[in-house]
Amino acid sequence: MQFFISGWFWFLEGILTCLMVVGLKFYMEDKGIPMPFWKWILFGLWILLAGFTIAFVGTSLGEGEPTAAKLGGILFGLTSTISGIALWRILLTGRNKT
Amino acid sequence: MTNKTEKKGFSRRQFLKASGAASAVAGGAGLGLFGYEAGKDPRTYRGWENWEGVNQVFNRKKYAVDQPTCQKVGPTRRVDARTEVIFYRRGSFMRQWREETGLEGMEPHIQEYYRKNPEDLELDIYSQEVIFPKLMEDRKKYQDQFRLSDAWSNAMGAVSPPRITEPPEVSDFPRRSRRGGSTEPVKFKDPKKTSKLIKKIAHELGSTLVGIAKLNPDWVYKYTSIGRGFQSDEPIEVPKHWQNAIVVGTPMSWDPMYANPNYGTSNDAYSRSRIIAFRVASFIKQLGYAARPHTPGTDYDLMVPPILVDAGIGEQSRPSIVVTPELGLNFRPAIITTNLPLHPDKPISFGVQDFCDHCKICAENCPSDAISYGDRVEVRGYLRWQVNTAKCLNFWNSTLGSMGCRLCVAVCPYTRKSNWIHKAALKVTADDPTGISEKALTMMQKRFYPGPEPQKYYIPSLGGENASYREPPWWLRTEDFIE
Repeated sequence: MQFFISGWFWFLEGILTCLMVVGLKFYMEDKGIPMPFWKWILFGLWILLAGFTIAFVGTSLGEGEPTAAKLGGILFGLTSTISGIALWRILLTGRNKT
Repeated sequence: MTNKTEKKGFSRRQFLKASGAASAVAGGAGLGLFGYEAGKDPRTYRGWENWEGVNQVFNRKKYAVDQPTCQKVGPTRRVDARTEVIFYRRGSFMRQWREETGLEGMEPHIQEYYRKNPEDLELDIYSQEVIFPKLMEDRKKYQDQFRLSDAWSNAMGAVSPPRITEPPEVSDFPRRSRRGGSTEPVKFKDPKKTSKLIKKIAHELGSTLVGIAKLNPDWVYKYTSIGRGFQSDEPIEVPKHWQNAIVVGTPMSWDPMYANPNYGTSNDAYSRSRIIAFRVASFIKQLGYAARPHTPGTDYDLMVPPILVDAGIGEQSRPSIVVTPELGLNFRPAIITTNLPLHPDKPISFGVQDFCDHCKICAENCPSDAISYGDRVEVRGYLRWQVNTAKCLNFWNSTLGSMGCRLCVAVCPYTRKSNWIHKAALKVTADDPTGISEKALTMMQKRFYPGPEPQKYYIPSLGGENASYREPPWWLRTEDFIE
């Protein structure tokens, strides 16, 4: 059985995502950073982009296309990194510094 | 007490925060492994093992149009297959051409064709006088490298129904069985239900895609030279019982197809499609109706691609082959003409005309320059891209591969296995009315999926390196198995 393309994988991935969201929520609360809904939406979109990048590289390697994996990794990886930095700065807005 | 609670709460929060960070890392790694398995997944080899129609997944109703995308723009003319179909003309050329007698020694219709198309005569002579001697030379040196792919190709083509030798009025109709069964046509309740039944039967018999069209007589050859009950010097009168055309077909094996031109073959899909077509014809005849299979490689009385377009199987592309949404160009069809009352499918338009307009990857990768970079032109009254088939066949004969070349099939962005990346790309391009996604994806395709320089695909005697678009699958690498 190929676990990572089975339904069980997506079930596990769902649990990990929930844990990640809860962890981020507590982290932001402890840092005094407010998280209104639009920040969660932005965060969700960024997670999709980052997830797409990782899955694209893996799939391209799996189907025997190393050039696509490399170039896709660079293109989408850079996009994810730059947008990730921008997102982090946006998330920090409204921080309670006291 | 208060301190104790705070400490406990702090500890739980810390644990959840750490779990969140760990989950992010594990989730990311999981996605990478998901991608890797998805890329290797044998189920992405669509059309090979999943029968019963589960692979005809594209929602054709959403993209149905009233008129086929190869528009009628002028007075139409039927094909003279004796000269306009390269395989038949090249066969006649090789039998009839002698340098000492020149054109005068050939049949009148061939003389006439070459006088109107002198560039084709040059290409046919070039094939015989330059390419073949060099090919023979290189075969001696390099053919051993392709022993497994040759053997596999020949094995796939080893089983074939007998060729049709009688005219349609005889061969197409049911004959009384030895056990005395009836040959009277059964009465079907409704053409729509009959179409549904025929499609199910074709899928059950192994066809990956099935479609039905009303037969346009323009697609039937005007003259043919391969027999099948027709005389080569008499025009074909389209039989009255060729009312509908059923399209069946299968893909070529994916890994060898990507290793074209030297490791690929069409024999696998040809053989399967041929057998399916004969079986479908047999099914129809046993119900009392006429049926005639037109099957690959060359046993046709008609042109196949426009019938696929009419039947909504796909759209004709720049290299003239029909692009299907499920399999891209990797589809080898056969046709069954019949008088069984059927309800035709509608043609579809899912963006191929626009895509092929600017993509041109096939033209850039074609070693023979057979594929046009230009716009669609009027061909016998219909608008389409035209391929120089003589140049194309000359390249077939400039490789050591088992059976010609399918590079345009391999490099086409639509010919990709059915994993999530390529399915998403198809969906995006089919639904984007702006064309922006098509341009972006074409640009990515050219950079992400490069192949060797076109010249490298030729045999060494013609300046090449026996290259293939992708490495052959492990089971076709002769050097790993044979000393």
